[in-house]
Amino acid sequence: MRVVLYTGKGGVGKTTTAAATAVHAARSGRSTLVASADSAHSLGDVLERRLGPRPSHLAPNLDALEVDTPSETQRHWGAVRDYLISLLRYQGIEEVVAEELALLPGAEEITTLLAVEAYAREGGYDFAVVDCAPTDSALRLLTLPEVARGAFRVLLRVQGALASIVTPLARNLIPVPLPESEVFRDAEHLLFRKLRRLRDFVGDRRTSVRLVVTPERMVIDEARRAHTDLALFELPCDAVVMNRLLPPAAAEEDFFRDWARLQLERLVEVEELFAPLPVLTAPLQDDEVTGLDRLAEHADRLFGAIEPDAVLSTAPRIRFEAEDGGYRVEVPLPHAGSGDLDVAKIDDELVIGTGTRRRSLLLPRRIAHLELSQAKLGGDLLVVHFTAAPGGR
Amino acid sequence: MRVILLTGKGGVGKTSHAIATALGAAAHRHRVFLLSADPAHSLGDALGRRVGARPVAIAEGVVAREVAVLDELDRSWSEIQRWLRGLLREDTDEVLAEELLVFPGLEELMALRAVREVEATGDFDVCVVDCAPTGATLRMLRFPDALRIFMENFFDLERRGARLLRPLMERVRAAGVVPRDEFFEAIERLYGEVEDVRQILMDGDRTTARLVVNPARVVVEETRRSFAYLSLYGVATDAVVVNRLLPAEAAGGYLARWAERERGELDSIQASFPIPQFRAPLYPRELRGIEDLAGLARDVFGDRDPAEVFMHTRPIRLRKHAGRTRLEADLPGISKEEIEVTTRGSDLIVRVRNASRLIALPASVRGRPIRKARLHDGVLEVDFG
Repeated sequence: MRVVLYTGKGGVGKTTTAAATAVHAARSGRSTLVASADSAHSLGDVLERRLGPRPSHLAPNLDALEVDTPSETQRHWGAVRDYLISLLRYQGIEEVVAEELALLPGAEEITTLLAVEAYAREGGYDFAVVDCAPTDSALRLLTLPEVARGAFRVLLRVQGALASIVTPLARNLIPVPLPESEVFRDAEHLLFRKLRRLRDFVGDRRTSVRLVVTPERMVIDEARRAHTDLALFELPCDAVVMNRLLPPAAAEEDFFRDWARLQLERLVEVEELFAPLPVLTAPLQDDEVTGLDRLAEHADRLFGAIEPDAVLSTAPRIRFEAEDGGYRVEVPLPHAGSGDLDVAKIDDELVIGTGTRRRSLLLPRRIAHLELSQAKLGGDLLVVHFTAAPGGR
Repeated sequence: MRVILLTGKGGVGKTSHAIATALGAAAHRHRVFLLSADPAHSLGDALGRRVGARPVAIAEGVVAREVAVLDELDRSWSEIQRWLRGLLREDTDEVLAEELLVFPGLEELMALRAVREVEATGDFDVCVVDCAPTGATLRMLRFPDALRIFMENFFDLERRGARLLRPLMERVRAAGVVPRDEFFEAIERLYGEVEDVRQILMDGDRTTARLVVNPARVVVEETRRSFAYLSLYGVATDAVVVNRLLPAEAAGGYLARWAERERGELDSIQASFPIPQFRAPLYPRELRGIEDLAGLARDVFGDRDPAEVFMHTRPIRLRKHAGRTRLEADLPGISKEEIEVTTRGSDLIVRVRNASRLIALPASVRGRPIRKARLHDGVLEVDFG
């Protein structure tokens, strides 16, 4: 299944672009699902249909859904949550408040993605288009499967320790309900199976992110940072979509003339900045783009002869290579500035921070015992050299 | 110190207006601190220069900084981190401890803690905060309540539990699992700081929110709800800024239909936000840098001082009515069916759709049952028995 996730700064037209992509693909015969993973749903408004948390059939080959995050959280994370709530309620805390307190960081993002993945897989679609939240939350969403792996491991350790070591003794000491084995089963299930599945889903070669921008400086700046962070987590971008270019009809008006020229400069700049990613463009329409027909027209302008489900570009991945006296690790990091980069080796992990995000990469055993000797950013590539520790093995 | 929070849906122009507000206030000879609390910082993008975690003068009378949550955590809660790292050590997952600490809402709250620090310097008259999009801002406002409940109900028990468990765990070599006393002290400190921030936020005489909207349906819809939620959390909103209105010279041609839609939205903004309104046009170019944004401030505020409190309100208040204490809460644009009111011990719980607020009740009505709750002209009135 081909998966395309759209993200970008708030208000740039992500939802319209996602819906248009899906309508276009469906009309060219691909069985398509378009899903909104943004908790402030507007996909239904754009498609002019009331959408539910399960796929509804809109047209031949076209299904759509808006994830109901609270109920999905309950579904995937229910037993653990119920336990936390019972624990809190036992302390005399009102149900309403307990529910809020029992929200674990990241749990909502994880379950949103789980829902999209599950419905997309079960439905046997050729193509899934995901309308993500604005950049920052989207990055959180997409990098979480990796981060959460560790988080849940901690949770398991804490609870595991409580149950196996303390429980028999502590029942007399602390008057709190202790977790039932079902809680662990749920947590383990989430940890070992669902998260792996999410990691596969997001990391699949046929999954790409598309960055949506408008020809405005601030929007472009944010997309650049997102591109860096996505690369750090090896989430490949395959295209940039630039919305709201003034069409010739508007550019001729006095008011818009200089602005239209500036927009073209921005377009050229974006093409250069994000190369080799293709930049797809769509004009500012003279009215709201809603409903299947207008969306199909919009997609025609956006894609032209390009297939909307094609992989439009492939991103380089992180590479480990032997070199004289050690190893080198190459990390593609487009637009990264060396000032913001933070590179360190901690135990057997390579930790890279971009100022906004950090990733810890587990090093292969043959590199893990070496020392980090140099890290250098050249162009869009971070190269980290590892050599044998003096007096080491 | 006056505190002004700029919030609104993503992409409406919060950052530009936050900078404009700061520059406008500085032009009225206030000493201004401009703070970015949006994790996706864009102050630097809008100014065309770097703004980092350290305060930097960006214009005459304006100092700015962006709050980096990971750094803040490093700085203040090394103890909490140490505990988490202890848990993680065997898994060699150091970085994770930091990620784990970024609870929803905490990140934004950290930024507000910075407001407290600005005040403590005594060097500033006005602090303008470029907040995260409304969803995140509301999560932030919910956080102090949750923390208070945790502290009141759970904290001491946890601490006692930890003391009991520690010797036991040490014997089975799992001591890292039970937090040290310092961990609890760090949490207590955090609680104190959060309480201070809450006090600042809810003081309507000096702290107000300003909602930035665009004349577009989805934006207005979402902002209407945010307006009610801000009020529910006790934050006064003293103005709405309508940004990117098509000017007359652009409204006749290709964008005529957009202009017509905008007129409809302006009416709905007028009806939904019974507070002072400011307007900014769509400019036929990008606004970037000090000069452009100072110009925006002049277009929006004219001769008025942006630091003024444009409307004095107290969204949640107590008053005597027929000899009894009545609690009133402004909940504009919310229907009766969306509200639920209950009491629990010394708190009143008001639930609006999926947001809930605990309001600590004064001694005079504490523990009394609710006699009557009704919604009248956008105001929730609660009488106690």
